[in-house]
Formats: sequence, structure tokens, C-alpha cells
Amino acid sequence: MKCYLCKEQGKDTDAVAICIVCGMGICMEHLVREETELWKGDYPFPAKKLKRTIPRIVCVICHEAMEE
Amino acid sequence: MTDLVRRSLAELVGTFILVFFGPGAAAITLMIASGASKPNEFNIGIGALGGLGDWLAIGLAFAFAITASIYAVGKISGCHINPAVTIALWATKRFPTNEVLPYILAQLVGAALGSFAFAAAAGMDAVTIGGLGATAPFPGISYGQAMLAEIIGTFLLMFVIMGIAVDSRAPQQFAGLIIGLTVGGIIITIGNISGSSLNPARTFGPYLGDFLLGGINLWNFFPIYVIGPIVGAVLAAFLYDYLAKE
Repeated sequence: MKCYLCKEQGKDTDAVAICIVCGMGICMEHLVREETELWKGDYPFPAKKLKRTIPRIVCVICHEAMEE
Repeated sequence: MTDLVRRSLAELVGTFILVFFGPGAAAITLMIASGASKPNEFNIGIGALGGLGDWLAIGLAFAFAITASIYAVGKISGCHINPAVTIALWATKRFPTNEVLPYILAQLVGAALGSFAFAAAAGMDAVTIGGLGATAPFPGISYGQAMLAEIIGTFLLMFVIMGIAVDSRAPQQFAGLIIGLTVGGIIITIGNISGSSLNPARTFGPYLGDFLLGGINLWNFFPIYVIGPIVGAVLAAFLYDYLAKE
């Protein structure tokens, strides 16, 4: 699979990941990898943030949209 | 602010909401029915104008207040807003021992503040006529009968909490609605027997308010609303654990 965003710019770069939001294949230059907090607990127990997080990869376009 | 203080404060706010709106609705019903002719001795005013519909209205006020509190602070403190629930979760080793007292104190303070705030908002008739929605055995109901009603009522409440919220197999996100409606349903049936407290804090607030603001002194009935709910809740928690064991 090739990077969709590179292809739009006329480049031919191999994709290294898939955006979890839009499903686009993306190269290292066009991905954002960030850690997502995990919470455990709900009524009748207080919710607590877990020490471990899970990584999430999105493309730069979806990342920008979610930041708004 | 430590985590426990923050969570205790959430319990205080949740219990304040419960006592302001729940017993507040009972007090308002008595104030509206004041002077109305009562069909029999069993009727103290709640039911004088709307029959069992009065209890439905009071039950729904409790249901809405509990549902709102659970969705508002459920993730912060667990929203027990009831010492009997806290003790039942502790007894079944689901709640830490060192947090039981802070939670119960917060619930009692929240309940007292809820009653005082209601008296401030509705005026002294809420104390002298409405009794701030305090619970007591109704005419013809003995001490033991009222306690039995509280045990059975709180048993059902805690049994539902175990099934809809504590059990990890329960459907998510429905707990607030179902538990609120369960309390409303219990109130409709046993409201005119024991007052349907199901919660020592819910009775403590109006009792303290009435006592300090010149209303009726009902403290001799307080053991009904401490022992009954705690026994009912603990029994339900242990029975559910036994029944749900894999």
C-alpha cells in the first residue's frame, strides 16, 4: 500500500500505517502517533485513570480535525 | 485537594441533590394538601388530593434526582449517596475500609445541607407543615412493620444495584435510569407504610432540620432508618454474590 497523501503530491511512498479514523494508508511523514488514556470504573465505583495508555495512529488530516 | 476529599465532596453534592428534591417533593405535597379533608386515619395528607398519584409524583421526584446525581457524579465518587450502599459494598469487599467513614460523613452533611436549603427556599411551612419530608411510620404501622418495609425496600434497591451496575456482565450506561426508577417504584408501594427512606442519610437530613428549626422531633424513629436499610442492603449484596457465582 502507498501513502495516499504522498500520492496526492505526486510522490510514491510506501505506507507504514493506516489511520484509525479514515482508513487511509499513510507514511511516517503523514502520521501522528499519540497515547490515549484509559479509564476503568463507573457507578457505583469511582472511575480511575489507568497507568498504562494505548497508542493510536491517525493521519495528519484527522488529527487536525480532532484537535479543533 | 486529595482524591478522597474530592470524591467525598462529590458524595456531598449528590446527597444534597437527593434530599433537596426528594424529601422536598414530599414536603411540598403536604403543604399543598394542608387543610384538605383526609378520607381516613391512614392518610396524613400525602394522597389527600391525588391518591396514590401523590406517591407516584414523590417517587418520580426521587427517581429524577437520583438519576441526575448518578449520571453527574457516578464516575467521580461512585455516587452512593446512601450509607447503606457504601456499607454493603464495603461488606462485600468492594470498597476500601478507610474510605467508608469519609463517604458516610459527606453523605450526612450533604443531606443536612439539602434539608436546610429546602427550608430556606420553601419557608418555615416546609418545616411546620411539610416536616421537611421526614420519614416516620404511618398511622397504624408499628416500629417493627416500618423496619421490615425498610429492609425489603432497600433489599430490592441494592439487589438492582448489584445486577445493573456492580455485575460486570450488566449492560452499560443504564444504571442511573434503572436505579432511579427502582427507588421511585419502591416509594409508591411502601411510602405510606414507613415513608420509604431506604437511606439513613435521606432521613438524617430532614430529622436534623426539623429538630433545629423548631419542627417535630422524630429521632426515636431513627434506628428504623439506620438498621432497616443497612440490613436490607447487606443481605441483598451477599445474596446476589451467592446467586451470581460462576
